[in-house]
Amino acid sequence: MTQDTPTDEDGGMNRRTMLAATGGTAVAAALAGCSTLLGDSGTQAQADDTDVPDEPIQAGLQTFTEGAAAVLGLQAQYGAELAVQRINDAGGIAGREMQLETVHEADAHIENYTQFVDEGKEVTFGPISSGGHAALAPEVESQGVVNVSTDGTVTTLYEETVDNPTYSFRFQNYDVMECVTAAREAVSRIGAENIDTIAGINPNYAFGQDEWKFFELAMNKLVDGGVESVYEGFPDLGATDMSTHITEINNVEPDVTFSSQWGGDVTTMMNQAAANDMFDNTQLVGTVLYSAVDELERDVVEAAEAVSGSRNWYWDFPNRSRWAPNGDTFSDAREEWDIVPTAHFMSGYGAVTAWATATAKLVDVIGGWPSQDQIARSLEGHGFYTPAGYHVMGTGHQGKSNAFSGRMEWSEDVGAAVLSDVNAYAPQEVSPPEGTTAEEWVNSW
Amino acid sequence: MSDDGTAADGGSASREGRLPGIVTRDGDRYVRVTRGLELPPRRAALGLLGVILFVAVPDLATLSPLLQLQVVHQGALFGLAAVGLNLLLRHTRLVSFGHAAFFGTGAYAAAILATHFDVTSMLLLLAGATLFGTLMAGVVGYLSLRHTGLYFSLLTLAFGQLLYAVVIGQGYFGSSDGLSVRPGEANQALLFGVEFGSEAYSVIVYYLTVLVVVVGLLVMWRVINSPFGNALDAIGQNRTRARFIGIPVRRYVFAAFVLSGVYGGLAGGMYGLVQQHVRPESTLYFLRSGDILFMAILGGFQTLVGPLVGGIVLVFLQDVGRDVTSYFDALTGVVLVALVFGFPRGIVGSLKRGSPFRERLGRLAADPSLAGTWLRGAGDAAVAAAYRAGENLRILLFGVN
Repeated sequence: MTQDTPTDEDGGMNRRTMLAATGGTAVAAALAGCSTLLGDSGTQAQADDTDVPDEPIQAGLQTFTEGAAAVLGLQAQYGAELAVQRINDAGGIAGREMQLETVHEADAHIENYTQFVDEGKEVTFGPISSGGHAALAPEVESQGVVNVSTDGTVTTLYEETVDNPTYSFRFQNYDVMECVTAAREAVSRIGAENIDTIAGINPNYAFGQDEWKFFELAMNKLVDGGVESVYEGFPDLGATDMSTHITEINNVEPDVTFSSQWGGDVTTMMNQAAANDMFDNTQLVGTVLYSAVDELERDVVEAAEAVSGSRNWYWDFPNRSRWAPNGDTFSDAREEWDIVPTAHFMSGYGAVTAWATATAKLVDVIGGWPSQDQIARSLEGHGFYTPAGYHVMGTGHQGKSNAFSGRMEWSEDVGAAVLSDVNAYAPQEVSPPEGTTAEEWVNSW
Repeated sequence: MSDDGTAADGGSASREGRLPGIVTRDGDRYVRVTRGLELPPRRAALGLLGVILFVAVPDLATLSPLLQLQVVHQGALFGLAAVGLNLLLRHTRLVSFGHAAFFGTGAYAAAILATHFDVTSMLLLLAGATLFGTLMAGVVGYLSLRHTGLYFSLLTLAFGQLLYAVVIGQGYFGSSDGLSVRPGEANQALLFGVEFGSEAYSVIVYYLTVLVVVVGLLVMWRVINSPFGNALDAIGQNRTRARFIGIPVRRYVFAAFVLSGVYGGLAGGMYGLVQQHVRPESTLYFLRSGDILFMAILGGFQTLVGPLVGGIVLVFLQDVGRDVTSYFDALTGVVLVALVFGFPRGIVGSLKRGSPFRERLGRLAADPSLAGTWLRGAGDAAVAAAYRAGENLRILLFGVN
């Protein structure tokens, strides 16, 4: 996969169509990854009659900046920082620069949010943790400063915890979407007729148990006559030894082994699985195995030939030589932070983008700076572009975008694992319609 | 030092000492808070100042975003649990590594009553939390107190982790995502059936905490200054002798353990009301037990209010630490090391009259040139230590000096 800079200087788009397509503001175009199109005239002229404060927009982000979960957390932070950088390069929102302060989310989601509000932040982003998000969302509702979460993708958040949200939004595709994507991938790549038995190795907490539940549910619906679950393993987060689970998989040889492990746990599991030849006995299908891209070694990646989801973005689909926004974002992430950006990079980038594009549009419409209530209203049903493509923030406050998944391969050029033969699933294929719970939906197939 | 600072009634005679006021004994004046609790005027003033500060936190918090009501509030609650733990630590000399179990049981009791049974009354939730915390202390105490010393500590740790594992594994307890404490139509617990806005709620719950903490400290003061408290001291100093003079050691230690569980459960229930969401990591994990123990030591476990002060200081440190450095965990480690070497009596213990720290401060104020002497002394000690270390290294490497 050699990477040339696009020969077409605008990656197949021109300024006028791009501005029109992205909602007409320079900020929207910049965040869609088309800053190259803006040139010098890209800064947004502020209309004289708009009543907009001069001082910069203060924003807060809480994410895991250390510990095992920082594998995801830092990606989200870098993504959010890149989005803010692009907003400021495009002249800010209605001329207002954006400043982002990041704190470690630890176990203090409510305290962090309260402190942001006390400091006068106009918007907050984060968190990564599902449990933390369940604690935070009701607090956001009562304090009334818009929070667009990067992750915290627990399925029940807007079904049960806060079933009628006003100020709390979530950008990233939520859990059920990646489980259904993984199930569809297993069926389409292996063939329903070849799958009789499945097994799972999932992290031992609410997220892992949920993911396994939905994968099992979906597989039983997708395969005629259902499937047999022959093994369920739940290693603890950060476990150093997964050999008991791997040995068991080798004994029962399931057709598909599903794993929702992420970050360092993926590395541990795949290294030990490769050492024990587990990949000869089963096909590994995961939701975010690719989150460990910066740690996985060549021989393991090649032995596994695992199928991995990549939530709502994979940096090379469409191929970055044909899609400039991907090319720019990938090289920005490489140059600035020396990482291969993952789906969690997009979590941070997209959360900021959702808020910024909605707010910029609103300033244009009302000719002044909008209130929290107005921003919250305009985010409902708001559509916007990122390098990942087109996203819609649903009326139920859940962002929905295409879900991506591919086969993990080694790339000499990148010096890391890449996804090849990527499939994209439209949100309607992997998520329930508004107002339906995930479980009702899968059971109705 | 936890007096309510009630108004003096103008130097009443010592005989009529039923009501709070000022009493005179042997020509000295004392401020009388309750029966047996009479403080010298300076300490009474300090106590009053402490209570005033405690009450004024919601107003102080509006001055700077660094000081958050919620942080002080949490600190006070963990501190209250530490006050309970301190009953064991200070008097019976038993070190419990599992005190988060009672805190967590209280917090989860409130969360389960709110989530699964839709109990909306704050007072009922607190009563439930206290009840379950106490029961849990009864069970864990009954099983752990067969042993003393290290075995006792390890047993409490094991029971604490067992609870954590049970909660993590059960969907009923919300596993790792936890449970919310937002019952009923209003999505919050109610006090006397009244619903508050979000800001009012946190302030109301805070004042409830102030009340609970002040009453809790007074009760604890009564307990440790009672014959029962003296018996606990005797048990701590020498169990065998205590039994020999007729103290029912096992029963008394069990009672102390359960009483400390009451504090844990009550503090946990309050914590549930404050956070409105309870998660296993922050309430039941063994590191939380370590925190509670550390709070008691940090504040000074030989004092009554020390653990409370330690709780507030530690939670505040952890919160501010996150803003200033990414090594905030190391910050608490450094504080602990400094404490063990420099201030073994903790914050309150070091400031008490008669402590080595106070005595040194006094000497320094009288003769500032002492600082130079001390520095020289420290330098000499460092040189001597380095020399000894070199000598030891030589012996290790060559077998001879």
